[in-house]
Amino acid sequence: MRNVERLCLAHFWVAFAAFLVACFLGAWQMWVRSPWGANVGTPGQYFMSVTAHGVSMAYVLTTFFIMGFGYFVAVTSLGRPLPGKVWAWVAFWMAIVGVVMVLVPIIMGQASVLFTFYPPLTASPWFYIGLVLVVVGSWVWCVLMLVAMREWKRENPGQPVPLAMFATVANAVMWLWTTVGVAAELLFQVIPASLGIVQTIDAGLARTLFSWTLHAIVYFWLIPAYIAFYTLVPRAAGGRLYSDTMGRLTFILFLIFSLPVGMHHLMMDPQHGNGWKFIQVLLTVFVSVPTLLTVFTITASLEIAGRLRGGRGVFGWIAKLPWERPAVLATGLAFVMLGFGGFGGLINNGYGMNAMIHNTSWVTAHFHLIFGGSVVVMYFAIAYEIWPRLTGREHASPAPLRWQLWLWFIGMMVMTLPWHWLGLQGQWRRVANFNYDDPIIAAWGPWVLVSLFGGLVLLASALLFVRNLAVLHRSPLPVTQRPLYALAVHPPHRVPAALNGFGLWNVLVLVLMLLAYGYPIAQFVIEPSPAAMVHRLH
Amino acid sequence: MNPSDQSSDAYHQSEIADEIDEAALAEVMRVTPLGAAVLAGTAVALLVLGYLAIYLMVFLPRGTVG
Amino acid sequence: MTDRPAEIHEKRILGTELLWAFGVGVLVAATLSVIVFTALSRDINPPSNVERSDPKTLHLSGEFAEHNLGTTVGPDGRVTVRIIATQFMFVPRCIAVPRGREVTLRFASPDVVHGLLITGTNVNTMVVPGFVAQVHTEFTRGEDLLMRCHEYCGLGHSEMWATVQVMPDDQFKPGPDGRVSCAQR
Repeated sequence: MRNVERLCLAHFWVAFAAFLVACFLGAWQMWVRSPWGANVGTPGQYFMSVTAHGVSMAYVLTTFFIMGFGYFVAVTSLGRPLPGKVWAWVAFWMAIVGVVMVLVPIIMGQASVLFTFYPPLTASPWFYIGLVLVVVGSWVWCVLMLVAMREWKRENPGQPVPLAMFATVANAVMWLWTTVGVAAELLFQVIPASLGIVQTIDAGLARTLFSWTLHAIVYFWLIPAYIAFYTLVPRAAGGRLYSDTMGRLTFILFLIFSLPVGMHHLMMDPQHGNGWKFIQVLLTVFVSVPTLLTVFTITASLEIAGRLRGGRGVFGWIAKLPWERPAVLATGLAFVMLGFGGFGGLINNGYGMNAMIHNTSWVTAHFHLIFGGSVVVMYFAIAYEIWPRLTGREHASPAPLRWQLWLWFIGMMVMTLPWHWLGLQGQWRRVANFNYDDPIIAAWGPWVLVSLFGGLVLLASALLFVRNLAVLHRSPLPVTQRPLYALAVHPPHRVPAALNGFGLWNVLVLVLMLLAYGYPIAQFVIEPSPAAMVHRLH
Repeated sequence: MNPSDQSSDAYHQSEIADEIDEAALAEVMRVTPLGAAVLAGTAVALLVLGYLAIYLMVFLPRGTVG
Repeated sequence: MTDRPAEIHEKRILGTELLWAFGVGVLVAATLSVIVFTALSRDINPPSNVERSDPKTLHLSGEFAEHNLGTTVGPDGRVTVRIIATQFMFVPRCIAVPRGREVTLRFASPDVVHGLLITGTNVNTMVVPGFVAQVHTEFTRGEDLLMRCHEYCGLGHSEMWATVQVMPDDQFKPGPDGRVSCAQR
């Protein structure tokens, strides 16, 4: 454990610092859009803030957290030092340089293209090059995860890779596959455009390449939360993981099915036909399967814990669970938010029904609830669980941790539920200010205020989160050594190679990617779209 | 740092041992996963019903689109 | 601890998981069938007419030249609306459409990516420079609706909107050239 504490803490503090700043920006944005902030801020400031908020939450918080957590899992679950630790630090500093290169143009107003970039809108080249550096740093992490697993397998022939590491490597493999899309878009289209090397850009191709990354990236963010569900939470609850096999299967299914479905983000786009969109709907239905399996498996694991503590009857075990433990509380809250957020996602996927909500506040509600809610609340839980290991000190009391988690849940629900409603009313996205004189828009005002209140609660929770971690560094209590990872009801002695590695699954990924993206991308090579003029914002 | 042991799930020794009595586990496993099936099943059923409700009562009345 | 209870556990566990997967699979398949059925029987699809057009020459000639924008009723009675989405307005800023008849809306952009929705309807599409976006629909409510750009297209995005007047048959009267303009209100 000793050799990665500083590495992990460095990654986590960068992630959480970006998170806190982004929470302030988010709250400001909501105020500006509300009736109370109607004359505050300019569009330039608003879209600068949205870009910074999106980049911080979607690229910085996530990538750094996942890298830090991965290093932690590699060392603790495999019981061996991290290979290539020097490279891990090189990658960290490269990513830091990248983050600075991204932030400076944003603050200077030369990169208001939002975190999804919208070619032909083009920002300063430093913005994109900075992001490329962050991604390359994460690729180093991927390689280190693969090396760590491979070396352990060589030292432990025939043994099942510990589930937490298996899942981490699945995530790394998926990240390598998915970043190809955005890397190709940036390197071959957007960066040349922003440097002035080309004056036009094929917008259809750029959007399609970006969509390649766009869905699997959210599963990249989500898998650490699921790693917590499968390997940390059953232990924290005092039970066992219902099925180790299902855990492995879940992460494999995520690897296979999250990659080809990016194009469902282009459901309303004119550059792809019905047939390809329907394939996307089908594949997206398949990617809901591992989540549905997880819901059952983890609930069953918690049921074991509850019944071991004396729960009787169909539901008696629920009350008997140790809800006072932050990891258990977080899981319950995460599952509630997963229910609502997943519901929104299934609506989004409803083929023609996507037209009902595309680019409305419903979409904003969906991803804040499912990512900002279910996933980030588990990031909090993970941090709370492993911080004592990293600092050598114990939390003085779990009460502030529970307060923080409840505030996050309440804030997220209060913020996002009105957005769902407003989205159905047609409230559109990425708006710097609303004209509340218009009667249609005026009717939305009260709900926007409710949402704003939720956002302020979230901000308070974010501050409390950072405080909870910061005080742990100076806590007087030494850490109590206790095992982190859960055992399965049936700990595997041997698993088939297919559940212990990714060779076979990479082939399947390739097949599905060719099916889903083969023609949709090839069509741009066969017959390039009429090119759009590059529109520089810098 | 202890070498990885050869135990059944091959976690590092200090990470794995739990205090669960095998007999208690076997007892609990007689009933599990009934509660999970009912809870998760109800949640998924509500999800599907809500989905169909929105599809039929909100989306379709807004007019065809193609 | 003997091996037998563990084996029984594992087989039974996987059995319950399979049962759950099957049950969930049935629910999901049923839901998907509803979507497929309505897509086939009522022709409900996401806008997917793949049609290329050069953004740089849109305004110069052809279908999206300025004199051809807005609502036109063809000789066969088909209603087609042509709109340009540009930074930061829709051209024209007001369109008239009939209530209860099929309307085809066609959009193009000469500059950056836009998108639009019409409140209270399922009209929703992206407008990507290089392509013509097309949506077929039938307006079921006779009132003024808001058409809004909903995709970030630059700093003026918040001000980009148009009005859609849904007219009953007695008010939807094409002129001699087949064109219908908004009523002056």
